[in-house]
Amino acid sequence: MTRHFHLLLALAIVVAMPLFMQSGSLASEVLIFGLAAMGCNLLLGYTGLLSFGQGIFFGLGSYTIGLLLTRWPLPMPLALAAAVGMGAAGAAIVGWVAIRQRGTYFVMLTLAFAQMFYFIAYSASGLTGGDNGLLDIPRPSLAVAGHTLWPLATPWQYYGFVAVLFLAAFWFLRRVCDSVFGRTLLAVRDNEERAAAVGYDLRLLKLQAFVISGAVTGLAGALHAMMTGIAPLSNAEYHTSEMILVMTVIGGTGNLLASVLGAAFYVLLGDWLSTLWPRWLLLLGVVLMVVSLGLQRGLWGLGESLWGLVRRKAPKNAPSAGLNATGDNA
Amino acid sequence: MSAAASPILLEAQGVEKRYDKFVALGGVDLKVRANTVHSVIGPNGAGKTTLFHMLTGTKTVSGGRILFDGHDVTREPDHRRVRRGMARSFQVTSLFLTLPVRENLRLAAQGVAPAMALNCWSPPVGRRSCADTVASVLARLGLERHADNPAGNLSHGQQRRLEVGMALAARPKAIFLDEPTSGMGIDDLDDMKRLIQGLKDEHTVVLIEHNMGIVMDISDTITVMQQGRVLAEGLPDAIRADERVRSAYLGNMITGGKA
Repeated sequence: MTRHFHLLLALAIVVAMPLFMQSGSLASEVLIFGLAAMGCNLLLGYTGLLSFGQGIFFGLGSYTIGLLLTRWPLPMPLALAAAVGMGAAGAAIVGWVAIRQRGTYFVMLTLAFAQMFYFIAYSASGLTGGDNGLLDIPRPSLAVAGHTLWPLATPWQYYGFVAVLFLAAFWFLRRVCDSVFGRTLLAVRDNEERAAAVGYDLRLLKLQAFVISGAVTGLAGALHAMMTGIAPLSNAEYHTSEMILVMTVIGGTGNLLASVLGAAFYVLLGDWLSTLWPRWLLLLGVVLMVVSLGLQRGLWGLGESLWGLVRRKAPKNAPSAGLNATGDNA
Repeated sequence: MSAAASPILLEAQGVEKRYDKFVALGGVDLKVRANTVHSVIGPNGAGKTTLFHMLTGTKTVSGGRILFDGHDVTREPDHRRVRRGMARSFQVTSLFLTLPVRENLRLAAQGVAPAMALNCWSPPVGRRSCADTVASVLARLGLERHADNPAGNLSHGQQRRLEVGMALAARPKAIFLDEPTSGMGIDDLDDMKRLIQGLKDEHTVVLIEHNMGIVMDISDTITVMQQGRVLAEGLPDAIRADERVRSAYLGNMITGGKA
C-alpha cells in the first residue's frame, strides 16, 4: 500500500516539476542526483554503510557513456546499459575490499578508493581526457532502426527521458527494499553481530547492496554526462561522493523518497543561492549541522512530524479558528 | 535417565584460545549428548563465554577440534554452523531493536536458508514468511500480544525471552544459551526456567548460567570450569557434593538455591 503511495508521490514529483520550473536541465539534475542519492541511501539508510565511493560509481558512469558515445557508434541505450554495468562492476570491486572492515576502517577504505580513482582518472588522460574531461558527448535521439522514437535535443525532451528512467529505477529500488533482501539489510543495519549469529553471510548481503547501489549511481553519472555534454574530472572527484552523501543525509535515511527530497533541496537551493552569493556552500554547512544535531531523520522526518502535528491539531482547530478571527479583528 | 545413553551431538577436543600470551582456554574437552540440558558453570573469567564463542563459531579457535553432528566444524564460520543446526542466544541481549518482534523471529527463522536473503525481488510473504515457525515460537515465548511492537519497546524480561526465541526460530539441533536469566527479576525467572526445560524434547541445550537454583533443577550434566580448564563434570548431585568444586567456586552458593 505504502509502496504504491510512494510510487504515486514520485510520479507526482516528476509531473509537477515541468509545471513549476523554468529550466529543464535543472529539473533533470534534480532527478539525476535523486537517483544517486537513492543509491547511496540503500547503503547508508538500509545497510548502515557510510560509503565515500559513490563518486567513483558516478564517475565511472559518466566516463563510460562519454567514451562509448564519442568513440564507438554504439546505440545509446546499449551505451547507457554499459554505464550501469560499469557502475555495478566498480561497486563490486570497492565493496569486495571495503566490507572486510567495519566502522571507521570501512569508511577509510572507501575514501582510499575514492582518492585512488580520482588520480587514476587524472593520469589516464588518453581515456578520460585528464583534467579537461571528455568533451562533446552527443545526445542522440532514442531511435529504433532509423526511426526516431524520442528526440532528446531540448532540455525538456531530455527531462522526459530521464524521468522515465528515474521512475523505473525508483520502482525497482522500492521493490528491492521491500524484498526479502531489503528486509534482511535492515537487520544488518540494526545489529550485525546478531545477523551473523542468525545465519546470514554479511559479506554477500553487503556486496549485493553495493552492486545495486553502484548500478543506480552509474546510471545517474551517465545521465549527467549526457545532460551536460561533458564527463568532467569533477564527476569522479571525492567532492561528488561528499555531495551525494550530504543530499542523502539532509533528505533523511531509510526512505527512498527522502533522498529525492534531499537531492531536490540541494540542487534547487544551490541553484538559487549561487546567483546571490558564490560562497553559498557555507550556508549548506549550517543546514547540515542542523540536520546532524537535531533533525536526524532529515527533511523527510521533519515533514512527517509536521504532518503529524497538523493531523493531531485538525479536530481542535475549529474553536481556535474563532479565536484567531477575533484576534485579527482587534 | 535415558539421557546418558543418547548419542553425542557435540564434542570439543582440546579446544584452546589464546589472546597473545593470555590463555583464555587451555585445552577444554566437552561431550554434549543429544536431547539433554548440559550446563557450563564456573566463576567469572573461567572461560565459559569464550568456550561458547568457540563452539558456535563467533570466534576462531587457537587449537583443538570441534565436532558437531558428525562433522568437523572447527574452521566453519558462525553462519555456516547455523545451517548445520546450531543457534545461540547472547549474554547481553542482542536483538534487531527497531524491528517488530515478529520480524525479529522471521529473520531468525529465515537465517537457516540464508541464500534466500539475496532474493531482491520478492517480498517475504506466503511461503517465504516462515509464518508457522514464527507463530509457534511466539506462542512458546508468550509474546503474541507484542508481536507487532518493536523489540526495543519490550521489557527486559521479555527481551531475554525473545533472545532465546531468536535461537529457537532457527529450529536448531543444539541451542546455546548464554546466561538467559542475566539481569532478570524474580518474577520472570520461573517463566524462563519452564521455557528452557521445555526445549529438551526437541533440542539439545548448552547452557551458561549463574543461577544455581535453575542449573541444579534443569541440568542433565554439569561441567564446572575454572581458569580456562574443566574442573569437574557430572550429574547435578555429584557436582553439588564435589569437594574441589565447593572450594573452588560454589562454596555455599551451591546450597543457597536449594536445601
